[in-house]
Amino acid sequence: MSTTRREFIKTVGAAIATSQILPEATTMGAGPTPLQSAPKRKVIYDQDNSGPFGTDILGTLMMLQADNVDLLGITLVTGDAWMKQEMAYTLRLLEMMGRTEIPVYPGAEFPMLNTKEEWQLRQQLYGGHRLDPWMGAFNRANGGPNEIKPLPLPPPYERLADIKPQQEHAARFIIQAVRENPGQVTIYAGGPLTNLALAIALAPDIVSKVPEVVIMGTGFHEFTNTFNIFFDPESGRKVLRAAWPKCSIVTVDLAEEIHEGDELAPGRRMIEEIAARAQSPISDLFRLYAIEPLKKNPTLNFFRMADEMIAAQVIDPSLFTKSESMYVDICTTPGPRYGDAMFWPKNWQEIPDAEKHAVSAADRRVFVNPRQFYLGPPPSAGLVNVLQEIDHARFKKLFVDLMTKPISKA
Amino acid sequence: MGYVRSPRTDSDLIGIWYHVASESGSVEVATCPVKSIALAMDRNRRDTMPSSSGLLAHSAMFSPAPQTPSPSSGKKKVIYDQDHRGPLSTDTVATLMLLQADNIDLLGICTVSCDMWAKQETAYALRLLEIMGRPEIPVFMGAQEPLLNTKAEAQMRYEMFGSRSLGNEGYLGCFAKDAPGRDQLTPLPPPYNLFAQIKAQPEPAADFIIRTIRANPNEVTMYCGGPMTNLALAVMLAPDIVPITKEVIFMGGGIHHSTSSVNVYFDAEAAKIGFRAGFPKFTLVTTDLAEEVHMQDDGKVDDIVDHAHPPIADLFREYEQKPQRANPQRKSFRMPDEMMAAHTIDSSIFTGYDEMFIDIVTHDDGHYGDTSFWDANWKDEGGELAGQNNPSLKAGRVQVLNGIDKKRFRELFADLMTRPIKIK
Repeated sequence: MSTTRREFIKTVGAAIATSQILPEATTMGAGPTPLQSAPKRKVIYDQDNSGPFGTDILGTLMMLQADNVDLLGITLVTGDAWMKQEMAYTLRLLEMMGRTEIPVYPGAEFPMLNTKEEWQLRQQLYGGHRLDPWMGAFNRANGGPNEIKPLPLPPPYERLADIKPQQEHAARFIIQAVRENPGQVTIYAGGPLTNLALAIALAPDIVSKVPEVVIMGTGFHEFTNTFNIFFDPESGRKVLRAAWPKCSIVTVDLAEEIHEGDELAPGRRMIEEIAARAQSPISDLFRLYAIEPLKKNPTLNFFRMADEMIAAQVIDPSLFTKSESMYVDICTTPGPRYGDAMFWPKNWQEIPDAEKHAVSAADRRVFVNPRQFYLGPPPSAGLVNVLQEIDHARFKKLFVDLMTKPISKA
Repeated sequence: MGYVRSPRTDSDLIGIWYHVASESGSVEVATCPVKSIALAMDRNRRDTMPSSSGLLAHSAMFSPAPQTPSPSSGKKKVIYDQDHRGPLSTDTVATLMLLQADNIDLLGICTVSCDMWAKQETAYALRLLEIMGRPEIPVFMGAQEPLLNTKAEAQMRYEMFGSRSLGNEGYLGCFAKDAPGRDQLTPLPPPYNLFAQIKAQPEPAADFIIRTIRANPNEVTMYCGGPMTNLALAVMLAPDIVPITKEVIFMGGGIHHSTSSVNVYFDAEAAKIGFRAGFPKFTLVTTDLAEEVHMQDDGKVDDIVDHAHPPIADLFREYEQKPQRANPQRKSFRMPDEMMAAHTIDSSIFTGYDEMFIDIVTHDDGHYGDTSFWDANWKDEGGELAGQNNPSLKAGRVQVLNGIDKKRFRELFADLMTRPIKIK
C-alpha cells in the first residue's frame, strides 16, 4: 500500500502542478491529465452531515466531485445535527447530484455517554470552553432525535428524497467494507467518532487493515476542546488511541487558516467564483447559502474550512506541506477538561532544553501545548499524524476546481 | 442492608416508565402526574432513548428491520451474557444452573472479557456445553476489551489509589499482572480435557443480542453476569431494543460491602450506559447481598459430589471439594452469579427489593467505576424518607434485591446440581 500511496501522491501532485492558474483553468477532470489513470482511493465517508450548507456538506460535495475517489458509502453520526435529520439532507443531496448509487448507512444517534443536560450543567459549572459555544444536535433550536424538519432548499430540491437509506448500521458497514478490502479503505471521519468507536469495539481486527483514518478535531491554541471530540469524548479517546497504521488529524488551528469567504484572487472570493461558474445544484447552493447572506451582511464571518481540509487530505495529501508525528489522548473525566485533547511530541525525549523554553505561544504552528511539554505521553496514548501546514493557494484552487467542474457521474 | 423495605411504587416515577413504554408503542397508559424529578427524568429518557415508534413518522425513510418471531415455548427466554471463567467458578456454576433448569429457554451464551479474556472463556463455554450434552446452544464471543479501560491504566490506578473492595480483594481479572495475554489459549483441565469440537458463532455478541431482542419483543431476559460491554454496544447500535427488553439482571456494585465490584470497574463506561439506558426492569444483585451466601456454607459441596451426575460431580469434586479438604481454612467465594441464576429461574426466592437510582463514576481516578445509589423515593414529601439526597440528573432506576430465602436457595441449588443431566 505504501508504494501505491507514494505513487498516488506523486501523480496527484503532478496533476495539480501542471494545471493552469485560475481563473483561466478549466476543470481537473478535463484533458488527459495523469490523474485519470491513477487508481481510485476507496473511501468510507463518515460525517455528521448537517444541511443545508456548510463545512459538512462542502466536504461531501468535494468527495462526490473528486475523480480519484471511490466512495464506498456514506455513514452518518449525530453531531452537528441529529442523525435522522442528516440522513434526510444526505439522501436528497445525492439525488440532486445524481449519485443515488452511493449507499448511505444510519449510524449512532447518541454519543457514548455525553448528554445535553449534563453538557449544559458543565458549562454552568466550569464556564465555556470556546468562543462560539456550538452544541450541534444539542442546540436549543434543534428538536429531538426523531424530528425531521423540511429541507430549506430551493425548488425543485425542497422535498424529501425518494431513495432510502440502507438498513445496516454504519458500524457494521465499516467492519464489512474494511474486511472485504483489507489495506485499501481510507476512512474519512468528519464528525464525532462514535461510529468508528463502535466498529473497533465490535471488530478490533479492522484497525490494522485501514491504511489511513483522517480526522477533523482537536487543537492546540484556538481551542484544545473541539466539537467533534467533546460531543463524544469517550469515542474520541477510543478511536485516537487505536493503533491505526496512519491517523491524520486536521486541528482547528490549521482549519482556522482558511475560511469559506476567503479571496481566491484580490477582490474575488471563492464563493463568488463558484456561484458564477459552477453547475446546478452546486451553484444554487452557493448562491442561496453564501452569496445571498453576504449581500445582506457584507461583514459576514464565514466558517473555517474544517471538513474541506480533511477531504483535501483524502483527495490530494500533497497539499499539506508539513506534519508532525505526535502522541494524543483525550480527557474523559467529566470535569472542566472533559473532551480536551492533549498532545506530546513523538520525540519528546530528544528535544533539547533550550528548544523547550523557546516555544512561544505566539507561534500558531507550535506543535505542543506548553503545559505538557516536559512530560511524556501516558501508556495508552495514540500516535497520530498532525497536519500542520497547508498550501493555501493550491488548496483554494482544488476546492474551486472541484466545485466548478461538471457534476460527476457514477 | 440499610434500605430494607418492602417494594413500593412511586406514582411519579412509575409514570415515567409508562410514558417510555407508550412512546415505543408497546403499552398504552395514561401519563401519571409528573413532578419535578419526573420531568427531569422524562427529558432524560426522551433524549437518551429514541423510541422505535419515532420511526413511524419517518417510515418513508426508515423501514423497520425484518423480524422473525420465534415460536413461544412457554419458557423464560434468556440471553446469558457472562465472563465465563473456567474450570469452575461462580460464572460456571450459574451456567450449570441455567442449563439444568426446566423453565429456561437459553437462547444463547455471550462471553465478555473480565474474569478471563473472552477467547479463553469462550473455549470453556463451548466445551462445557459439549460435556453437558448441549451443543445446540449457540455461543457468541463478545467484547475482548472494555470500551475504554486498559490493563496498563487499571494497574496504575490500583497502585496509586488502592483497591476499593473490602476483604482484601484487589481483583483485576484478566488485567492482573500475571494474567495470560488476550489471545493466548491455555489448555482446559479435566473434566474438560480438550477444546470443543463445536465452534463459536461468527456474529459478535452485541449483534446477536439486538437480533434476538427485536425478534422476541418484550420476552427476552438479559442475564449480565460480567461487565456490561456487550449490552452497552447493543444499546448504542440499536437504542430501540431498550423498551422491548423484558428485564436485565446484573451482578455488581454495592452499598456497604464495597462501593464497586469488578463487573463495574472493569468497564465503568459500559456500566454507565447500561444503567442509564432506561430498561423497563433492571434487577441488581449487589455484593452486599451476594456476601450472604457462600459456597462452603450454602453450596452443600459434599452432597453435590456424592449425588450429582457427571460432569457436574467431577467439577465439584475437583475444584471445590479437593481444595476445601486440602485447606479447611479456605474461604470459598460468595455466590453472586448463582443468585442471578436463581432470580432468573425463580424470583420468588428473593424476599424483596429496594427501588433505587444508580449512577456510575467514570472519572479517571481512584473512584473509577464506583457506584452511587439513591433511594427512588427520595422526595417522599412529609414521609419517613423526606430530605434524602437527590439522584444525579441521568441516574438509572434499578430494583436492588435486598433479601434472599437462604433455605429455598440452597434447596433450588442442590436440586439443580444433583438432578439428572438435562438433555435437549
